[in-house]
Amino acid sequence: MRVTTNLMFDRNYRAINDSQGQLSDIQTQLASGKKLLRPSDDPVGASQVIRLTEELDKITQYNRNNDLVTNALELQETTLRSINDVANRARVLTVQAGNGILSDADKQAVGAEIEQLRNQVIDLMNTQNASGEYIFSGYQSASQAFEFNPGASENQIRFVGDDGTNLIQLSDSVSIQSTTSGKTLFEDVKARLNFDFTANTGITFDDYKIKNQGTFDAYHQSNFDPINDANNELSFTITAANQIEVANLGTGQVLDTLDFTPSEVVTYQGVEFRLQGGIGDSFGISLNRPEKTNLAETLHNMFVALNDTSLNPQEFSSVIDDTLIGIDNGLTKMARENSSVGARLNIAQSVRGSQLDSEIANEKARSSIQDVDYARASAEFAKQETALEAAFASFPRIANLSLFNFI
Amino acid sequence: MIRNADLFTMATSGLNASNKLLATTSNNIANVNTEGYIRERTEFTARLGGGVDFGFTDRVLDTFAQNQLRRDTSAVGEFQAFNDRVESLDNVLASEANSISFSMTQFFSSLQTATDDPTNMPSRDQVIGQAQGLVSRINQLGDFMQVKEQETELQIQQIVETANGLVRQIGDLNEAIQVALGNTNVDTPAQLLNQRDQAIMELSELVSIEVRKSSNRDDGVVVNLTSGESLVLADGTFNVFAIGGEPDYTNRDLKLQTTYAPPKQNTTLNILEQKMGGALGGVYRYREQVLEPAQRDLGKLATVLADTVNEQNRQGMDLDLQLGTDLFKIADFRGINYPTNSNLELGVGARITQGASGEITSDDYRVTVLSTPSGTPASFDVEVMALTTDGRPVLDSNNNPIAEILTVTAEGGTYNQTIGGIELTFNNGADYAVDDAFLIQPTREAAAQLTMATTRAEDLAFAKPLRVSMDIANLGDAQISDTVISNSVVDLSFANNGASAFNGNMGLQNLAESPSSTFGAPVQVRFTSDDAYDVLDSDNNVITSVTNADDLNNLLARAKTDGVPAWPTEFASLDDYPGYDFSLQGNPVAGDQFSLEYNTNGINDNRNAVEMASMQQRDFVRLSSGQQANKATFNEAYASLVGQIGTAAASSKIDLEAAKVMQSQSSDWFESSSGVSLDEEAANLIQFQQSYAAAARILTSAQEMFNTILQVSR
Repeated sequence: MRVTTNLMFDRNYRAINDSQGQLSDIQTQLASGKKLLRPSDDPVGASQVIRLTEELDKITQYNRNNDLVTNALELQETTLRSINDVANRARVLTVQAGNGILSDADKQAVGAEIEQLRNQVIDLMNTQNASGEYIFSGYQSASQAFEFNPGASENQIRFVGDDGTNLIQLSDSVSIQSTTSGKTLFEDVKARLNFDFTANTGITFDDYKIKNQGTFDAYHQSNFDPINDANNELSFTITAANQIEVANLGTGQVLDTLDFTPSEVVTYQGVEFRLQGGIGDSFGISLNRPEKTNLAETLHNMFVALNDTSLNPQEFSSVIDDTLIGIDNGLTKMARENSSVGARLNIAQSVRGSQLDSEIANEKARSSIQDVDYARASAEFAKQETALEAAFASFPRIANLSLFNFI
Repeated sequence: MIRNADLFTMATSGLNASNKLLATTSNNIANVNTEGYIRERTEFTARLGGGVDFGFTDRVLDTFAQNQLRRDTSAVGEFQAFNDRVESLDNVLASEANSISFSMTQFFSSLQTATDDPTNMPSRDQVIGQAQGLVSRINQLGDFMQVKEQETELQIQQIVETANGLVRQIGDLNEAIQVALGNTNVDTPAQLLNQRDQAIMELSELVSIEVRKSSNRDDGVVVNLTSGESLVLADGTFNVFAIGGEPDYTNRDLKLQTTYAPPKQNTTLNILEQKMGGALGGVYRYREQVLEPAQRDLGKLATVLADTVNEQNRQGMDLDLQLGTDLFKIADFRGINYPTNSNLELGVGARITQGASGEITSDDYRVTVLSTPSGTPASFDVEVMALTTDGRPVLDSNNNPIAEILTVTAEGGTYNQTIGGIELTFNNGADYAVDDAFLIQPTREAAAQLTMATTRAEDLAFAKPLRVSMDIANLGDAQISDTVISNSVVDLSFANNGASAFNGNMGLQNLAESPSSTFGAPVQVRFTSDDAYDVLDSDNNVITSVTNADDLNNLLARAKTDGVPAWPTEFASLDDYPGYDFSLQGNPVAGDQFSLEYNTNGINDNRNAVEMASMQQRDFVRLSSGQQANKATFNEAYASLVGQIGTAAASSKIDLEAAKVMQSQSSDWFESSSGVSLDEEAANLIQFQQSYAAAARILTSAQEMFNTILQVSR
C-alpha cells in the first residue's frame, strides 16, 4: 500500500482521538462511580434502574408509614390498657358496693371514687394524638369523640363521631387499619339484657330476680323478635293450685307449664320468681330491646345510684348487676380490640422485615446494573493510558521521518 | 548516423520534459495540504523522430475508490446527524435532576405521608409542592423537546440551502469544465475538476447521491439521489430542494423542484425524506423515529397522569368539605386545517374527555367531513382516523385502519366524544364542506402545556364525600367493609346523564332535588331479614326491596338490578346514579339499619388519599393503539420512554462507529491512490533534477561535438 503524507497524519490523529475519548469515558465512570452514564450505555439496564429506584423509594416511604402506624397503634394500645385498669378498679368498687352492709355515707364515698373513674374513662375515650386529633372520633377527628351532658335524661355520655376508620398502606399489597372508631370500640357494648313487667292481675311478688344471667341471655338472644314487639311478651297464668302456664302473647303458643308453690321459688329461663296468687291470676313480662351502653355511661349510672338514697335494695342490686355486666362486656370488647391491635402491630413488624429483605435485594440489583466495578475500570483506565502514551510517543518519531531531511 | 541538430532538439525536449516533471512535482508538494487536491502525474511519449513529446498532466484518480468514499461519507453524515441529536436527548434523560420518574415517586410518597395524617397542613403543602415539582419537570422535558423540534426545522432549512448551493455549484462547474476542455486539448482542467469533486463530496455528506459520467464524453457528470431523482444533469441544468409542510407548517416536507426558464413548465416531485440518507436523511429520521414519538409518549404520560389524579380528586372531598376539583389542567388543542379545505377560517376544537385517559394513545388524528351539514344546530358525519407522526394510518391487530365514523353536532360548547379519549367541538353553524379535513395532535404539546389547576393545599380531596353509619341499635354484627364512590358529578338539571346523587351543597339529593318525582336519592338500607333489605330515601320512602341476597357486597348495585319494585326509571336512565355504593361483612338481623350521609366534618378521612397514592402501582398508561387492555404504570411508561431513546442512541452509536470505520477504510484507499506522498515527491525531485542535468549535458555534448567538427575543418 502506498502511504501518503496525509494518510499517515490522519491515522495517527484518529488513533489519538479515539484513545482520548475512551479514556475520558472511563475517567467519568471512575469519578461518578457509575458505569451507566446515559441510557444508551445500557438501555434495558437504564429502564430497570428506574423501576428499581422507584421500588426502593417506595420501600423508604412504606417504612415511614410503618413507623407512623406503629406509633398510632401503640398509642391506642396504651389508652386501652389504661381504660382496662380503670375498669377493673371500678369493678372491684362495684362488687364492694354490692355487699349490702355499706351505709349511705359509705356508698357516697365509693360513689366519689367511681365519679373520678368515670371522668378518667371519658378523658381516655377522648384521647388526642400528637397533632391534637381525637383518635376515637372516626373521620371527625377535630371534635371530641364523646360528649358528657349530665343534665340529659338518658345517654348522658354520647358518641358524637362517626364509624370512619383509616387504612395505611404498608407495602404494595398490605394495608392495615390505623384507627378504630369509638363507636365500635366503646359505644357498641351491649348492656345487661333484662325484662319488664307488663300486666299483673292479682299476683303479689315476694321477690324476683334474674338468677342465672347466662341462661336468660341465651333465651333472650334466640327468641327476641326485633320487628314484632308482641312476640316478646310472655304471660304467666296460674292455671291450677300448683301450676303456672307460660305462653307467648304474640303467637298465643303455650311454651311451658311450671310447678308452683306460693312464696317458693319458680324458675323460668334463669329468672326466679317468688309470688302468691289464686287460680286465674296472671302477670306478663316483656323482653327488653337490647341496649348499648358505653363504659363511661355504665359508671355514670353506678355513680348516680350510689348517690340516690331513694333506691330500694331490689333496684340497687339491679343497678349493681347492670354495672358488673356492662363493665365485663366493655372489657371483653376492649380485649378483642387489644388483640386486634397487637395482631396489626405484628403484621407491621413482619412487613417491615420482608421490606428489609427486598430493599437489600433491590439495592444489590441496582448496584450491579449501574455501579462501576472499580478494579476493572482502573485496569481499563491504565490500559487506555498506556495506549495513548504509546501513540503520543510514536507519532512525532514517524512524523519526523522524511526523505527531505536527508537531501 | 546521428544528426547534430537532432541532438539539440532531443536535449531541448528532454529539458522541457524534466522541467514539466519538476513543475508537476513542485505542484504536488505545494498542494500537500490542499483539501480535495488530487495528486497529478505527467506522462510522456517518445517522439517518432527522437526526443520526447510534449507530455500530458493528469490527475491520479481511482473512481471506484472515490465513489466508495462518497457512499461512506453519506452514511457517516446520516448517522452523525442522527446520533448527535439522539445523544442530546439521551444526555437529558440521563440526568437525575430531570428525571420525571423521581418526581413522580416523590409526589406519590408525599401522598402516602399525607394519608398518615390527612388534616396535617404541612404534609398537604408538601403534596402540592411535589405536584408543582412534577409539573415543572414534565414542562421542562416537554419544552426541551419542543425546542429540539424547532431546532430540527431550522437545521433542515439550513441543510437544504447548503445542498441547493452545492447543486448549483456542480451544475456551473459542469459547464465551466466543458468550456475549459474546448479551449485546451493539452492538460485536463484539474483545478475545476478538483473543485467539482469537492462539491460533490460535500453534497454526499448532506444527501446520499450517485454520480455518473455523462455519456457525451465531455467530462460532465450527472448527479442523482440514490432513490433515482436527478439533481444535476450533464448540460448544467439542475433541480433544487423545496420545503413544504402540509397541513402542519411546523413539520417540513421535502420536494424536488425543476428550475427551467419559462416558457418551459416547472414541476415538483415528492421525495421520501427518511430514505434520503446523508445528514438530511439523518435529521428527518431522527425527527420521525425518535423526537416526535418521544414527544407524544411524554405528552401521553403527562395527560394520563393528570387526568387520573384529577378523576380521583374529583371523587373525593377536600378540606373545605366540598367535592374535589381538578388538580392539574390539561391544555385544549385545536385542529389544523388541511390546505385544500373549502374555508381556511374553519376550525375544530378538541380536548381530552374527562376520565377517559385510559383510552389515550400517542397517535395524531385526522377528522374528515363526510356529509353536508343540515339542521339547526347543524349536524353531519365525520370520520376520525388515527395517524402516525408521518401521516400514515395506524393499523389495529387485524391490519385495518383505526377509525370511527360518527355524527356530530356543530354547536359552540357541545363536545362530541370519539375514539382515543378525545372529544371534538365544531364552530356554531359553520359551513363545513364534504372532504374538509383537520389534523389533531392531542399529545404533541401536552407535556409542555401541563399546568396546575389549583395550588391550594385545602383542595386536595383526601376524604371520600360519603360515610355510612351503622345504627347503634343494630342487633346484628354486620360491619361496613367498603364504600365506593364512582361518580360525584353535581348536575341538578340532569342535562347530560352524567349526574350523581350529590347535591353540591354538602348533602345527598332529597325528593325535591332528585331526578325522580317520587323518591329522593337512596340514603338508607334497612334489613328485613338476614338476606333481604329495603332501600329508602331520606323521607323513609321505600324505593325498592331486595330479597334472597346471596352476599352483602355492593348493596345498591344489587338493588338496581334485583329490586322489587324496579329501580326508578329516572335513576336508571342516568349513566351512574347515585354514584356510590357500600358493602357489609358479618350477619345483619332484621331491623338493622345503615344510613349514608355526606361526610360532613370528616376531615380525618384518608380513604381517597389512599386510593390516590395507590395509583403509583396501578396500570393506567395505554401501551398500544390496537389493544386497550395492555397498560403500564406511570413509572413503567416513563422507563419505556427512556429505554426507547436509550436503544435508539445505543444503536445509532454502533451504526456511526461502523460507518466511520468504513469511511476511514475507503478514505485510506482513496488517499493511498490520490494523495501526495512527500517522500515520493522528494525522490521524484532528485530523479527529475538528474534527468534535467542529463538533458543539459546532452546539449553541452552536442555543442562540444559541433566545436570538434569546426576545429577539424579550421
